[in-house]
Amino acid sequence: MLKINKNILIKFENEIKELYENGKIRAPIHLSGNNEDQLIKVFKKIKSQDWVISTWRSHYHALLHGIPYSWLKKKILLGRSMGINSKKYKFYSSSIVGGGLSIGVGIGLALKKKKIKNKVWIFIGDMTFETGQFDECYKFAKNFNLPVKFIVEDNGLSTNTPTKSTWKKLRKIPKDIIYYKYKRKFPHHGTGNWILF
Amino acid sequence: MKKYKDELIKSMKYLSKDERTIFLGQSVKFSGNAIFSTLKDISDKKKIELPVFEDVQMGLSTGLALQGFIPITCYPRFDFLILAMNQLVNHLDKIRYMSFNEFKPRVIIRTSIGSKKPLNGGVQHTQNYTKIFKDILREVEVVNLVNPNTIFKEYKKALKRKDSKSTLLIENGDFYN
Repeated sequence: MLKINKNILIKFENEIKELYENGKIRAPIHLSGNNEDQLIKVFKKIKSQDWVISTWRSHYHALLHGIPYSWLKKKILLGRSMGINSKKYKFYSSSIVGGGLSIGVGIGLALKKKKIKNKVWIFIGDMTFETGQFDECYKFAKNFNLPVKFIVEDNGLSTNTPTKSTWKKLRKIPKDIIYYKYKRKFPHHGTGNWILF
Repeated sequence: MKKYKDELIKSMKYLSKDERTIFLGQSVKFSGNAIFSTLKDISDKKKIELPVFEDVQMGLSTGLALQGFIPITCYPRFDFLILAMNQLVNHLDKIRYMSFNEFKPRVIIRTSIGSKKPLNGGVQHTQNYTKIFKDILREVEVVNLVNPNTIFKEYKKALKRKDSKSTLLIENGDFYN
């Protein structure tokens, strides 16, 4: 299996960028970038049999969770960048804000009831972190001591809207979640270049 | 003619015997609605009483199903199920397509059209949205339970169906009594 490192992550997104700019992908793509170090550190804690719940920006999460490079590329070429899903790799992603939260918590509830020792790692952005859906899921998972860990990836933006401008004040960050800030390398979707299809 | 509520009680008992099933929602352990009265013979060990967070409830149900459970997720009134539309329509109903048919969560969704007799619950508690749900859902099967003779058969089908699709079963509160 290909050992995923920072260079491979960057190379993958550059390949997808090129394919997209050459009109080979007929669906939105959401590229990752500038958060390789933070994610590599987080994924050192995630076991292969753990579940990963991701978002529409899932390429790095997928590769770091063991989804093969070629498999992922094929799915993106089929137009599925926004929704990478695999039963084998226990990977679910949703392109609805907060969409994966309660599903991840439900998986955590099932793991606990079945006494399975694996965990669920739920990745969300900074806008989702501010929503009621997160509040409900976080409170439920925490109070019932479910094997669920939340990771907030804060790029300060929801699409292109500054998250703070919509709430005026941002919530406090609980100590039991993983939180990191980064500056987006690519636009919300696409590559920043005009594409003629 | 079989009695409507008796058939529901029989169906729930039948579902509860499958070790994969689990009942969840508001008032599954504590009284407060008509659905509760059909679950009274089922062990509390098979039930999870939830807060009122309908959309999260549907997501929890999907998550439980992805990890091998068959949730019977109870929404006491059709009017309340609307609050779970995001997880029902955008997730549970689309997850097969999204995963190239790899994820096949089987969720049994129970809801009820609120009764109008002897008390009329009013416009926010008695609506029948069957047609709208049939129109909007493309994978989840929608079944309106009108004839008591079909109730057990439909719940059995929801549990055993070979395609493992999810089923929304709509009960009629006015037929309970």
